[in-house]
Amino acid sequence: MATVAKILQVATGSLSLPGKIIPFWGFTDVFVGNPQNPGPLIQATVGDQLIVGLMHNYIKFIGEPLSIIFPGQENVMVRKIPWGPFIYEPVQPQYSLGKMISLTNYLDEKQDIIIEYSFTATKPGIYLYESGTNPEKQIQMGLYGIIVVRPVGYNILDHHNHKTAYGAGTNSGYDLEKILVLSEIDSIMHNNVRPNVYYDMLKFKPDYWVINGRSFPDTISEDNTSSQPYGSQISCRVGQRVLLRIINAGFQNHTFYLGGLVGRVVAEDSFPLKTQSLDATYEKTGVTLGSGQRMDIILTPTTPGEYYLYDREYHHLVNNDQFPGGMMTRITVNN
Amino acid sequence: MPVIDLWAKDGYLSTPDGNSIYFWGFSKSETGPAQLPGPYIIAKQEETITVNLYNKLSEPVSISFPGQPVVTVGGQPVQPQYSDGQLLSFVNHAEPGGMVSYTFTPSYPGTFIYESGTNPHKQVPMGLYGGLVVRPADYNPNVKEYKTAYGAGTNTEFDREYLLITGEIDPDMHQTVEEGKPYHVSKYLPRYWTLNGRCAPDTMLMDHVDYLPHQPYGSIVMGQPGEKILMRYIGAGIDNHPLHPHGTHTRVVAVDGRLLKNGNVDLSYKRFTVLVGAGQTYDQIYQWDGLGYTPQNPIPTTLPNLRNMGIGDAGWTMWSGSPYLGMKGDIPVGVVSYNEFGEYYFMLHSHEELQITNWGEFPGGMMTWVAIYPSLSHDVGVLK
Repeated sequence: MATVAKILQVATGSLSLPGKIIPFWGFTDVFVGNPQNPGPLIQATVGDQLIVGLMHNYIKFIGEPLSIIFPGQENVMVRKIPWGPFIYEPVQPQYSLGKMISLTNYLDEKQDIIIEYSFTATKPGIYLYESGTNPEKQIQMGLYGIIVVRPVGYNILDHHNHKTAYGAGTNSGYDLEKILVLSEIDSIMHNNVRPNVYYDMLKFKPDYWVINGRSFPDTISEDNTSSQPYGSQISCRVGQRVLLRIINAGFQNHTFYLGGLVGRVVAEDSFPLKTQSLDATYEKTGVTLGSGQRMDIILTPTTPGEYYLYDREYHHLVNNDQFPGGMMTRITVNN
Repeated sequence: MPVIDLWAKDGYLSTPDGNSIYFWGFSKSETGPAQLPGPYIIAKQEETITVNLYNKLSEPVSISFPGQPVVTVGGQPVQPQYSDGQLLSFVNHAEPGGMVSYTFTPSYPGTFIYESGTNPHKQVPMGLYGGLVVRPADYNPNVKEYKTAYGAGTNTEFDREYLLITGEIDPDMHQTVEEGKPYHVSKYLPRYWTLNGRCAPDTMLMDHVDYLPHQPYGSIVMGQPGEKILMRYIGAGIDNHPLHPHGTHTRVVAVDGRLLKNGNVDLSYKRFTVLVGAGQTYDQIYQWDGLGYTPQNPIPTTLPNLRNMGIGDAGWTMWSGSPYLGMKGDIPVGVVSYNEFGEYYFMLHSHEELQITNWGEFPGGMMTWVAIYPSLSHDVGVLK
């Protein structure tokens, strides 16, 4: 049982979409570095103590109160430096003048240097972390990321949990895994949001749809060091078990279609569907994920070739109204 | 080997409020009308089938068969198609005036969608989709234990079956396609919601009525008390629709053409409302037996709520005037009853209730009836 510490800062940056560059707000784990979307991947093992710090950014600050919520994690504790509380205490919604202003304790850049959230990773799975302050605005502006919690022994050869998402006996063993974070972007909103200024979310009308912060064809480019570091192209061999870890971080529902292939859903919202007493896994050609939901799917392609994985809500396969684009990526199956 | 010919063509849909809407659809023959949805394809597990697509439209068209293991064209697995390095189709397509021939061997029984894999943001909403039913290898409609959706012993026996395919129509976008103007998905605003290509109350008409040449399939679900009625839902549109029948719940036995069963463990589940997701399918058994109805004891039904009986103008009703199945009673003067034999009617509709309008006017849209008859011919509720 180790301690996993991640110090994040929030900064303003630029997102590159096909045909457009727009401002965004993102997390970074590089001191006064460029922010990224989704935020830096946080990885832990069951039993680990996670400490996620959110540090005042003195250079590229946003100027709004900032916080992080951890849906699916229990007993999240918080402390703040230098003005306290110094001893960890349970997170609480925050109020000002009787009005709720944050779903959890937040970093007040006028006085705080760092706020630290801490919790024990008790269950394996994929989880969101995201803004809990002005979330209707800040999450759309880019303040979300992923935590992967792995079962003990996942990285130990010969361990019965080796290369499984949820441990032995959960039918979640995999040869390779891919995290696919679905979301949508309203580029007009991104250009018009100002810190601490009310933005009328009734105007929200996304025009870009993204996987891991990128729209097709950028999705099939390699990982890189840009503000959208994570590609989502997959390469595998026939018969390999590909674990797709799909998270809907957006506000819309999305139906992720497996390119005509059939996958087996092995976990929903990080609850494995196979337990000692019941195998409730099931097969699907596509899955509809509501906002904030996650699904783990094992795909085992049998025929070499290229397959596109995409949002079956076909209007989301466009950039600037033109097909192909949007929420789409590719799996290449080799012999 | 069964061979299915489909012609991709254009035509005009009729809506109950008098609109005529340009659409693209598949036709069974070169001279026949394009239809919405495309012709049902009935295939058999482990029996190789060929689907020939003849493209009479002005842009490339293809057909994808999600959930079918290996679809081949010219002996090779289908592959994405590119034009100038840009993705054009998810699978091999037919050029305008051309044809392409797909061959596959269904390895699983069940309910599947087939749909265009080319410019799908436009071609699928324009109407290039249909339903594919794969019979289990041991299917035999003349023997009760073998008249099943997923094979003998899978607890999917049925007496009658119905395919219900959901869709949406934005008439303005259809018009931009008709006029060859730019197709901007950001302008999408559906105004009609369809079951088997029709809006209520046309959904309640029989199949193949001659005044709906492009919309041959009705969606009224008919059965007798106690019968197992198999409802096969397909979400062919780009939106999700929460469908439910009144009267009783259903048991969901399969999704996306895969039986909900692992080994000996039955994973089927009961639902009142099923969210029919885009591109997904749901097989359900609906069984109405009232409160213990038998022909010897025809009494125990409670009076239907009159609100559930009304359709169309004030004073129209599907009620028989009697709470007894198979009986007709007096109805108030001025009320028109569409009841035929003292049957019971239950709505089946999208609970997103804007969708049970035609361009905002109730009743309409994604709505039909489940009708329980005291007796009904065996020819009703047969997919051919």
